[in-house]
Amino acid sequence: MITMSMLLASLSMALGVVMLLSLYRVVRGPTIFDRLTGLGLIGSKTIVLLIVLGSWSEQVGLYVDIALSYGLLSFVGTLVLAKYFEVSSGAAGGPE
Amino acid sequence: MTVVSGAMLVLGFGFVFAGAIGILRLPDFYCRLHAMGKCDTLGVALMLGGLAVHEGLSLTSFKMLFVLLFVSLANPTATHALGRAAVRAGVVPWRSDKGQS
Repeated sequence: MITMSMLLASLSMALGVVMLLSLYRVVRGPTIFDRLTGLGLIGSKTIVLLIVLGSWSEQVGLYVDIALSYGLLSFVGTLVLAKYFEVSSGAAGGPE
Repeated sequence: MTVVSGAMLVLGFGFVFAGAIGILRLPDFYCRLHAMGKCDTLGVALMLGGLAVHEGLSLTSFKMLFVLLFVSLANPTATHALGRAAVRAGVVPWRSDKGQS
């Protein structure tokens, strides 16, 4: 019999393993955009991991606000970094 | 209700894991972006939906559904911004040299 607590604990460990797999692409990415892709993947896993851990420790009302604000910051960070490296890595068509 | 929530969690983790395998194994930046854009959005949305079902009807589950809505809007937008930035920075797509493998 698998209880919900066991499922949440094993899911949080499995999400950690998936984040480590994405970290390989951040370290070994050939271009800078590969690194940004792995970073975005780790960011969206972090949102789920926060809510899973909060729901495992019965304090999910505390963690869901942190997850929401982390999601906002990660999204804006990805957009700004994409725009920055689009300009600074020598655009083919020139700047806009 | 627990069965529905657990099934959504496990199914969502399957999609997330497929996305991670894709981002490790695919040969090109654009192929990896393809793996990130769809598998990751669907997997995260399914896992957040399963957690909201597990929580029941309250303000917390409403906040979880808002996180779900935000992720399903923001993740394709970030993927599109990354792809457009890579095209404008001159990353060439991968082509198969041999034709038949």
